[in-house]
Amino acid sequence: MTDSEIVELYKNKAEAVACKIVEYKTIEEAIPYIIKVVEEKAPCELLDDEDVEKGPLSPNGVPTRIQPVLAAPHCDEAFYKKFSEACEAKGYKCISKGLRNYLAGIDVGIASAVLGIAETGSCMVDTSKEDIRLSTMICEVSILVLKKSTIKPTLISVAEDLRSHIGASSASYTTFISGPSRTADIERVGAIGVHGSLEMHIILLEG
Amino acid sequence: MEEAAKTLKEYQEHIDEALNDKFLRKTLDKFAVEYRVSRDNVFKEVPGADCVQKIADTKDWCSKHLEELYEQFKTEAEKRGVIVHRAKTAKEANEIVVKIANENAVKSVVKAKSMTAEETMLNVKLIQEKFEVVETDLGEWIIQLRDEGPSHMVMPAIHLSRYQVADDFTKVTGDAYNPEDIPQLVKVARVQLRKKFNHADLGISGANFCIAENGTFGIATNEGNGRMVTTIPKTHIAIAGLDKLVPKLEDALNVLTVLPRNATGQRLTANVTWINGAGECEIGKDGKKNLHIIFLDNGRTEIAKDPLFSQIFRCVRCGACANVCPVYRMVGGHKMGHIYIGAIGLILTYFFHGRDKAAILSQNCIGCEACKDICSGGIDLPELIREVRTRCHDEFGTPVKEVLAGKILKDRKRFHTFLKFVRFSQKPMADNEGFIRHLPDILFSRHKFKSLPALAPKAFREMWTDLKYTLESPTMRVALFSGCVQDFVYPEQLEAFIKVMKHHNVQVDFPEEQNCCGLPMFMMNQNDVAKEIAEDNLKAMSAANYDAIITLCASCASHLKHGYHTILGDAANAFIEKTTDFSSFMVDKLGVTSELLNKSGEKVTFHSPCHQCRGLGVVEQPHALIDMAAEYVPCAEEQVCCGFGGSYSSKFPEISSQILANKVRNIKETGASRLVTDCPGCIIQIRGGVHKAGLNVKVSHIAELLAENLKP
Ligand code: SF4
Ligand code: SF4
Repeated sequence: MTDSEIVELYKNKAEAVACKIVEYKTIEEAIPYIIKVVEEKAPCELLDDEDVEKGPLSPNGVPTRIQPVLAAPHCDEAFYKKFSEACEAKGYKCISKGLRNYLAGIDVGIASAVLGIAETGSCMVDTSKEDIRLSTMICEVSILVLKKSTIKPTLISVAEDLRSHIGASSASYTTFISGPSRTADIERVGAIGVHGSLEMHIILLEG
Repeated sequence: MEEAAKTLKEYQEHIDEALNDKFLRKTLDKFAVEYRVSRDNVFKEVPGADCVQKIADTKDWCSKHLEELYEQFKTEAEKRGVIVHRAKTAKEANEIVVKIANENAVKSVVKAKSMTAEETMLNVKLIQEKFEVVETDLGEWIIQLRDEGPSHMVMPAIHLSRYQVADDFTKVTGDAYNPEDIPQLVKVARVQLRKKFNHADLGISGANFCIAENGTFGIATNEGNGRMVTTIPKTHIAIAGLDKLVPKLEDALNVLTVLPRNATGQRLTANVTWINGAGECEIGKDGKKNLHIIFLDNGRTEIAKDPLFSQIFRCVRCGACANVCPVYRMVGGHKMGHIYIGAIGLILTYFFHGRDKAAILSQNCIGCEACKDICSGGIDLPELIREVRTRCHDEFGTPVKEVLAGKILKDRKRFHTFLKFVRFSQKPMADNEGFIRHLPDILFSRHKFKSLPALAPKAFREMWTDLKYTLESPTMRVALFSGCVQDFVYPEQLEAFIKVMKHHNVQVDFPEEQNCCGLPMFMMNQNDVAKEIAEDNLKAMSAANYDAIITLCASCASHLKHGYHTILGDAANAFIEKTTDFSSFMVDKLGVTSELLNKSGEKVTFHSPCHQCRGLGVVEQPHALIDMAAEYVPCAEEQVCCGFGGSYSSKFPEISSQILANKVRNIKETGASRLVTDCPGCIIQIRGGVHKAGLNVKVSHIAELLAENLKP
């Protein structure tokens, strides 16, 4: 497979598991897209008690956030600066740590993938840092940033990367993520959004 | 949870209940058809057969190096701050969990799905000890609300309807739900369980693989609950069977390539989590997770040493062996395994939950080999199930009826005299279509669903003197192995065969000392009798004198080829090599073309006998033959069992009849006016089913179709 075939295969398989894929040259250029995602989404449900101003009940009968919360923990500093400014301009709350204070749910979590797996449409994300892990778990919309050049063809072909990644620190927690959380546990009818993310967007970057 | 049946009668009652559950039947039927399609679609994208072989090889190696793997994992995991435990029994595992929970002042527990924890019945123990326990996998949560066990290893609540689920949820929340809105029902779990995750003191998960090289364990989940359970509480306990140990990451990735595809037709689960060491946890002591892993033995080290059953280690719990099982499709999981479900469930019940529970269950296998064919680890499941039955027999004694049958079958002359007696006594009951009209109730009270055939007035062996012929210079010289059914019930099928052979210049011999192939005795676990019969047949058929030994019965063929090797070892090789089924002989050995055949306009469909398509790997040859003599029309689910299974259909007639009903429905849908197959057992079953359903479809052996269409 050529590189562009691998990218095409990745897109195809990721879309098959309900990922939305957008392409940008740099992550900074994607900031308006992320803001638009927040503008278009329904208010975040508060699934646990939190001392915060609440909006009307959601269709599931749950109170909602008035001020959207976006998390981008442990990311590139230059990006975070621009990103948090953009959020501020919109009146959104942007956080980079302390996600345990938001276990009731956040609107959007942003994380970088170490690599992609074309065969399954997956991202490998280093979630050793607890805040990164939480940001991809308790968010309603999960946004993963993936560089095209890091996409590998098959599951088995990521073995070495996974190994060196695991071995790099004394303890690690790595996740392969393939689409939003889903279930078919009721009458085998597929439904998206169980305990984890309700939506997943992949920002594919050149390079 | 439902108690396991202690007697066959009680078990049959449980089964009747399941068969009458309309929702269950509809769901499992739909699932069986849809599963095949989605699974095959994603399976063909990967080198599936190679991956399965690799799983088998790796796990076979693991079962022999279990202690080394365990030690390596333990050393590596401990280096990274994980506390590693080992439990000899289910009870011990549960006690370890309770101890850890008490030491950490745990009150509430959240669990992600773990079949191993189901095996130890951990919830029962935790609830006894007054912990609050919540299952967080949606299916597991639903069955927990109902106090039931899982009915499928991957889809634990597949037996429940949306209405039942909506009612159960209403009981928990007091709110009413629209059962038609399944996405909303799913959100109930999201809303109800987030607080449980957030405030739990302990998370319990399973593990799909434990990787010795670096002490990592991996968990595959879809709903996101696996990551919640392993992240939010400050203590995490993973429970894994010793069989989950593998040497390297590559081994785990190889399993992952197959497991989700085979389980539910997904390329990969939404999350796969690789946990290595006690990592960051803001609320933990020193900011670290309190991480434990418990390895459960519960008989596994013994299984690993068993030359036959060590194959169990290859099981990756994909559940596929239930997905394709025609019996599972009819009766569902609660009737097919104590905790583990499906083909593997019949086996594991014996090892993990006791012989008394397995003795009855292990009889509910029709031997169709669909499970073996699809298994992620290439386990010979039907053979292991048969062996479980043998062991149960050895422990509980063989039923009298079966001992008697063995005595009769062993002695060819006595067997044939017995058949002649039956033929005599059935005379007034056979109608002119060759069906027994009025079944003697005592013998067949559970067997009325299909018309049974009568024994033929003249057996093939009695016709042989008149049929014998000698060719001047034949292309080939073959021996016919008739099998009992064609010899005594359907001699006309063999007559047709003789006609076809003669026409193609093939010399046929019929060695008259041959006996039954012995499969019925083998399936009834009378291994001594089966062996004696096999030895007699080897002698009678004198393979060296022939180019091929042909049988027109797929069950005989598969038993002569595979069963005889199991029974007699390499001593049977020369015989096995010569033995072939009719269709492959015609196409592969004789290389027939349409030259000597007329292609008629008749629309003919095909049933692929289990013992031919899976037992012998013969699939395309019969299609080619039909196409030479008629217009071939494919049949949906062609390779799904017809429900006959020899003595199975008399032991579980209700299940057998339901399987047959599906077959008849599929045949009807082809619009064909004739169905052919390559096995007289299937013909008994299908002809009877078609007759009972009043369908105007002729059912015959493929040899008969050819004999009718020979060019003059
Ligand atoms: S052989 Fe057939 S009936 Fe028996 S367990 Fe396997 S799939 Fe089920
Ligand atoms: S026995 Fe084979 S098919 Fe059945 S669950 Fe195990 S791996 Fe899957």
